[in-house]
Amino acid sequence: MSTSRRELFAALRGGARAEEPDAAALERYSRQLVLPEWSERAQRALGAASVLVVGAGALGSPVAAYLAGAGVGRLGIVDGDAVELSNLHRQFLHFTPDVGAPKAESAAAKLRFLNPDVHVEVYPATLEEGNAAALVEGQDLVVDCTDSFAARYAVNAACCAAGVTLVEGGVVGWSGLVMGIRPGQSACYRCAFPQPPQDAPSCAEAGVLGPAAGVVGSLQALEAIKLVAGVGEPLLGAFLQIDLASHAVVRVAVSRRADCRDCGGA
Amino acid sequence: MTWVRTKLELERMEPGERLAVRCAPGEALENVPRSAREAGHDVAMDGHTLRIVRR
Repeated sequence: MSTSRRELFAALRGGARAEEPDAAALERYSRQLVLPEWSERAQRALGAASVLVVGAGALGSPVAAYLAGAGVGRLGIVDGDAVELSNLHRQFLHFTPDVGAPKAESAAAKLRFLNPDVHVEVYPATLEEGNAAALVEGQDLVVDCTDSFAARYAVNAACCAAGVTLVEGGVVGWSGLVMGIRPGQSACYRCAFPQPPQDAPSCAEAGVLGPAAGVVGSLQALEAIKLVAGVGEPLLGAFLQIDLASHAVVRVAVSRRADCRDCGGA
Repeated sequence: MTWVRTKLELERMEPGERLAVRCAPGEALENVPRSAREAGHDVAMDGHTLRIVRR
């Protein structure tokens, strides 16, 4: 095997242990490598990427699992909560024996089993305005899987300030939203929604179905993979509004706002 | 896995370059020529050896 081929497989493994056979990385990623739209370059891009998943719950579970499975090189998991019994119907990275454990740790443990070649970093903290910039710094992409508007706007502002690509998402009841954001190039979350809603119910109040969160989180993971690997058509300058009770999906175009306080000057 | 390896090798080649792939009887022999053809390459079989001209 040539040196360049060895480097390829090392890159595919995201810097894995040398004793593993090269064929393992090839086999692990074979079902995406074989896609006509996929390539060695796309796989390398994933393996070289640092992605931060903010929230290890209903959206964070599919997002982190799919990104780890796909071979993202470095995956940061941010969550300051502990696993609760009421989480388990939709947050599939956590199991019944995990109740009471820190969510970020619980998720990281499963992700390391899923793909030992991914470097998983744990941030057992709640993202807020005060720490958002530090958490976002140095990331290639952030996926927002939080369930609070305060965190959502804090992530958006931090990503806009740092020029870090962001995939937004939210779910409640049977409905969800997904949006890709390239600061300075496409509309940000605040461009689309300048003010947080005054009376939006939480999942605890309004309820949420596990598969609905799974669909929205899966779409977020898909957008993250597209944006990192440079394949497909990313969802930029628009958001998807999804009603899973009726299977209605609406793509809403969004323009940048010159007066946006998050990205207006970016 | 034969097609995955073949596809990656083809990605590294220039248009017009040639690649010979020995296919094991069974799944590889059935699927790799078809996949190469569907990807738009010129293919010819020589026994168990698939000869591909990269598109």
